[in-house]
Parts: sequence; structure tokens; C-alpha cells
Amino acid sequence: MERVDCIVVGGGLAGLAAAYGLAAEGLEVMVLERGNYAGAKNVTGGRLYMDPIRALYPELWEEAPFERAVARESITMMGDGAHTTVEVASDRFAGAQPQSYTVLRARFDQWFADKAAEKGAMIVPNMKVDELLREGGGDGRPGRVIGIRAGGDEIGADVTIVAEGVLGMLASAAGLRAEPAARDSALGFKEVIELPAGVIEDRWRLNEGEGAAHLFMGTVTRGMLGGGFVYTNKESISVGVVVGMAAMLQQAEPVESYKLLDEFKELPQIAPLVKGGTVAEYSAHAIAEGGIARVPKLFGDGYLLAGDAAGLSLNALVTVRGMDFAIASGYHAARAVATAKKAGDTSVAGLARYERALRESFVLKDLETSRAIPRIVENPRLFMHYPRAVSKLAESVFTIGAQPSPRLAKTVWKGARRDFLSLATLKDLWSLRKM
Amino acid sequence: MNIDAKLGLDVFKLDKEPQIVVKNEICSTVCVNRACLYVCPADLFELDDQQRIVVNWEGCLECGTCMICCEKDALEWRYPRGEFGVQYRMS
Amino acid sequence: MSLDIVVCVKTNPDAQMIRIKNREPVLEAIPYKVGDLEKNALEAALQLRDAAGGGTIRALTVVEGDRKIRETIKEALAMGADEAVIVADPALAGADQAGIAAALAAAVAKIGACDVLLFGEGSTDNYSGQVGARVAELLGWPQIGYAKKLALAGGGIEAERSMDEMIETLAAPLPVAVTVVSEINEPRPISLMNILKAGKKPVTEWTLADLGLDAVGAQKRIVSNLAEEQDRKHVLFAGAVDEQVDAFVNALVKEGVVGR
Repeated sequence: MERVDCIVVGGGLAGLAAAYGLAAEGLEVMVLERGNYAGAKNVTGGRLYMDPIRALYPELWEEAPFERAVARESITMMGDGAHTTVEVASDRFAGAQPQSYTVLRARFDQWFADKAAEKGAMIVPNMKVDELLREGGGDGRPGRVIGIRAGGDEIGADVTIVAEGVLGMLASAAGLRAEPAARDSALGFKEVIELPAGVIEDRWRLNEGEGAAHLFMGTVTRGMLGGGFVYTNKESISVGVVVGMAAMLQQAEPVESYKLLDEFKELPQIAPLVKGGTVAEYSAHAIAEGGIARVPKLFGDGYLLAGDAAGLSLNALVTVRGMDFAIASGYHAARAVATAKKAGDTSVAGLARYERALRESFVLKDLETSRAIPRIVENPRLFMHYPRAVSKLAESVFTIGAQPSPRLAKTVWKGARRDFLSLATLKDLWSLRKM
Repeated sequence: MNIDAKLGLDVFKLDKEPQIVVKNEICSTVCVNRACLYVCPADLFELDDQQRIVVNWEGCLECGTCMICCEKDALEWRYPRGEFGVQYRMS
Repeated sequence: MSLDIVVCVKTNPDAQMIRIKNREPVLEAIPYKVGDLEKNALEAALQLRDAAGGGTIRALTVVEGDRKIRETIKEALAMGADEAVIVADPALAGADQAGIAAALAAAVAKIGACDVLLFGEGSTDNYSGQVGARVAELLGWPQIGYAKKLALAGGGIEAERSMDEMIETLAAPLPVAVTVVSEINEPRPISLMNILKAGKKPVTEWTLADLGLDAVGAQKRIVSNLAEEQDRKHVLFAGAVDEQVDAFVNALVKEGVVGR
């Protein structure tokens, strides 16, 4: 059997970050990507938070093909006919070292693949891995992963880094993780809509090169877990919807998922933003939302799991992360494999340092801190009652009617008593303390 | 813009074999929810005139939602061979 | 017998991946690949070499610049070519068919070992179909265009091609230049093992100066490359459904779209 030091399954951000680091260490590494190029199967909302990863490969980010530095964050709570937006702008968001950038994956991942190839990694597109090869398994134990089978060919490796993405088909078939469950998964889908850069900057009130991130909660998902999003790219915007799969399954009167995006785009607050744009692409992807409780064992004899394949993503409602986790997990995977190779031990014991490194890093720390979130956000009141109630209250504060107006404090008190002073709200508040 | 027009914007390189196969013997006997008919973001599942579920797999975005949401394990779902299937140019 | 073959390989942007924006093709982030017809030519080369029982297959390509050509040409090596020869020179930018043919002919002459020179009948992007004939002329070799079947016969080559209502069989001595059509074969799929091997095969890079050429000046240039503008008629039919359908069908007939 032909052999390399390390096989990386999947040319997404986790796989490429691993390959880049391994190649830089002088190891022979081969990335197998089933798309026409790295990024061809990938979808982001989305944006990449930089501060967690900036120091990992500091030489890389200067020339990365980011879209826009996010200068303004907005969240809109949508009720029936009324909505309330919280907008946060900070000089620090898009300052000298922007905290996050919008990205488009076809461009970004290809660039990253080129960087890994420059370091000496072998990137093989159009190649689907059909199986993780194992030996010595049985009795529910996966045994040692000794390489892969792709088409008719088997290739061996000291370590196989499984960065195959959120569905984890190969890893679950090999017993390295569970199959994704509806309760822990969301569906994200979006349109990329082309608009001239100047129009984007005018519509979103942005300086040149700066971007906006805007999330929407409430009626956009008809009260289901999830929301809408708009991210501004250089010359396009990403407009999409995320909706929990379990929530979709529990609908009394199910709506076809794709219609949520059409409804979203037709809303009076979205329609003017997308007006005149040319839809250029429509894409969809599953999202792992189970949090740390669903993160499988990240290493074993001859293998590591990284990125989405390891369930490393976090939807904390106001911040949605995954790509920074992917890059960090790839980075730590590369370091762990390089060290294990030097020590001549790629067994469970030798690779355990990978999970230790992730536990010491923001990746598993942030996921641990947010352990309770996936169960908290199952509460449908978060996506139906509160966005409505907030908007109703805000609307009443700003309303002058034909009748004499009560004192502002009274208006607020009335609204608060109606929608917020209940045992349910207290319970919800109590649960939110864990967020 | 309807969903077919949206899919028309994407590049699909068609594999010879379908990547989704519906086991209608399961769907017609034990499935009540029929989630595939509404969860698919590409709206690929529909009923034929005999109330069997058919899937227009050629427009599959490979998100896996139908597979995850199918409560009766009635879908054979796999990625197309390398080189084939949807190829995103932006996203 | 040993048969040395050179396959001229053009690498093109993957046409299926090109988007049109403001009527112009968007080439950014589009992968380049070996053209489909060139894959037919490579497959023909592999089959001829097998029939001969030995020989070396070289994939030859000319490019104006970097364009990841070393990566792209690996596809030809993974399919089975033994070596790759890349002529890369910025002076090739904007070169037309005459210039490309001059560079290819000079490269084939420099390679020396070539009994059969293979081309696709045309390239996936421009499809002029000229380059094969031009190179043959520059080398002073016999050439066979549009071959749909190739075999070794009598120390030379025998080819079939379709001529409207007949099939023509041609024979030529070696060395010979041949362009092939897609019906000639089904190119073999590329396996992972062969991709691994491809990385270790020799790749030679030449500039125009290495070939004794300075510029290969273009006689023509592309002024613009625009997608066709389609005039929509924007006709809306009103009335009851039946009336709308009748009006719609009448309009289609009137336009000559149906019912001619």
C-alpha cells in the first residue's frame, strides 16, 4: 500500500489549516477534497472571527481574500408588523485589527489551499474518500485507522485527520462519532446577491471596505429556532435563513423550508436592501448546533477529528461561530501530529495531546462555557414571544395616539407587565443566566 | 424568483447514479410526517400520482437535511463521486 | 516497436463554472483543467503506445504565465503521460493560433523523440481547430484531422474519419500529426494512485528563448468577449386561463417558435 505521513479528509478550513501546519513542519501530507476545488462544497453565513485565530498562523492573514471587515453588528427582533433593532458600532470592530471579516468560501478556501500547497501539501480535488481503513477493531471499538480508500485505491497514513464536514459520514460509518441528529442540527441556506460596492456602502452606511452583519429573530422563522441573516461582502450580500431541524419537524402546519427565505426577502425591512441586486448563487448546508455535549472523542489510534466533523460550532444567538473553531482545530491537529510523529507514537496515547490542546484553547473552553445554550434555545418563546413582545413594547413607546398619552413609565410598565412579568419569563430568564 | 430558477444559478455536475434513493416501501407504510416533502431547501421531494415520494436528486445541494430529518431511515443518501454534484462558485 | 508520442494539451478554464456578470465572463477563482478533447487525445496516445508495446508519452503545453500550470498539467500525467513539457513565457500573452503553433512546433522539434503528435480537434474555449494543422505544416509532417479511430499499420498510422455520409480511411507514415474527435474513445478515469505517481513524474519547463524564439507576435487580438444579449419581448397575456393559453400559443406560432 502506498503511504504518506498524513492524510487529511476534506479541504475545508479545518483540513486546510491542518495541511498547512503539517506541510510547514515538513511532513508529507495529502488533502483529499471531493469538490472541483477546495471550497466548492462549502457554505458560510457568514463571517470569520479573527481574534481567536490571529496568532495561530500570523503570516497568513495579511493577504487573505476577506470580503469586508465587519464594522457594525445589528440584531432585529421581529414581531407582527413591528420590529426592533439593536445596532452596535465600535471603532474596535473594524479598526487596525478587525475582529471579524465576512468571507465567501469558494474564494477563501481556494486561497487557503494554495497557501497549503506552497508549503508542500498535496491538494487533490475531485477525490471522494469512500472509507476510513481500520485494523484491529471489533466489539464496538473502532480499532486503528490506517488510511483511506478512494475509488479502487487504498492509501496508508500514520495519521488520518478526518475533516470531512458536518455530516460526518465516514467517521460515523467507522464508529468514530454518532450520526447527526435533527435535535442537534440546523439547516442554513442563503442567496448570494450581487450589488455594486458603492450601493452596499450606501445602503448599509459603511466606509469603503467596511461591512455589516445583521441577524434577525422572530417571525422570520415563524417562531422556530433560528433566524435570518444578512452579511455584506465586497460586491455582494449573503442573505439567508437558519432554522433548527427539530423545530421544523415539530411544526403543526409545516412550511417548505425554502419559502422562509423568500418570505424573509419580501419583508419591508429587507426588500429595499436587496432591491436591484442579481441573485448569483443559492446554497444550503447543515449546521451542528449540539454544542459540547455532542462533541465526540476527538482522537484515537491513528486519527483525529477536526472542524465541523467534530461538531465544533457554536450558535450563541448573537454570535455564530464555526470557521474560527475549524481553523484552530486544524492548527492544533497539525501540531499534535507533528509532535506525535517526532516521538514516533501515533497511537491513542501519542495523539491525546490534540484534545488536551483544544481543552486549553478557546475552542473547547468556549464550547464548555456555552454548554447549556443548545438546550436553552430549544425554548420556542425565544423566537416567537420575546421578539414580538419587545417590538410591541418599543412600538407603544414611540406611538402618539389620538387619545391623551399616558406617562412613558406607565406605557413601559403596562407592556412589561403584559409580556414580561410572568412565571414563564422568570423561568426563561433563569435559564438564560447560563448563556 | 422561484426555487427552480435559484437552482438554475448553481453548477451541478451530474453523476450517473442518483445520490438519494427513496425506499417507498418504508414511506408508504410507517411514515406519517413525510418531512422530506418540506425540509429540503431545494424542494426536491414530491409525490407522484400514486402518492409515492420521488426525489429530483439532480438539484441536490448536499446539505443532508432530508437524511437527518427522515425519522424512518427511508433514504439512502450519499455524496456523489468526487468531481460531481453541486459546485459552489461563491458561497 | 517503440512509439514516442507527444500530446499537445491546452488547459482551459472549466467552462461549466464560468459565471456571466455584466455580460462578461467571470474567470476569478475558476479552476483550469485539461480540455476534454485533449483527454481523448491522451487516451488515444495511451492506446497507441500499448499497441506498439512501448515508448514515451509527453504532454506538451504552452502558457503565458503561471496560472498554476504545474498543478493543471498533473491531470495529464495522472492520466498516464510519462513526462510533461511546459513552455511558459509572458511573451505568449495574447498569442493567436499562429503564435501558439510556432511555439508548439519549436518545442516538438526540441523534444525530438516524436513519432505521433496528437491534438484534440479544437480547444474547449476558442475552438478554432487550427493549431494542429498549423503545427503539422510548420514541421513539414503529414497531418490527419478529425480522426475517430486510430491504429498502427504498416509501420505508419491508419485513421478513420467521418465525412458526412461516408467514412474515410487514411494512412500516413511516421512522424505524423493527428487531431482527434471526442467519439474516438472514453478517456480513462483518474485514480488516486495515479495522482500520487504523477507528482513524481518529470516536468520540463522551457521559455521561448530556450526554443530559439523571441516573440510570437499576435496577428489579431480579442477586442471584447461578451455574452449574447437577449431581447425579451415582455408580453403579458390577460383574460381567462383559456384565453391566455390561446393567446400564448398564437404568439408562439406567430414567432415561428412552434407549429411551423
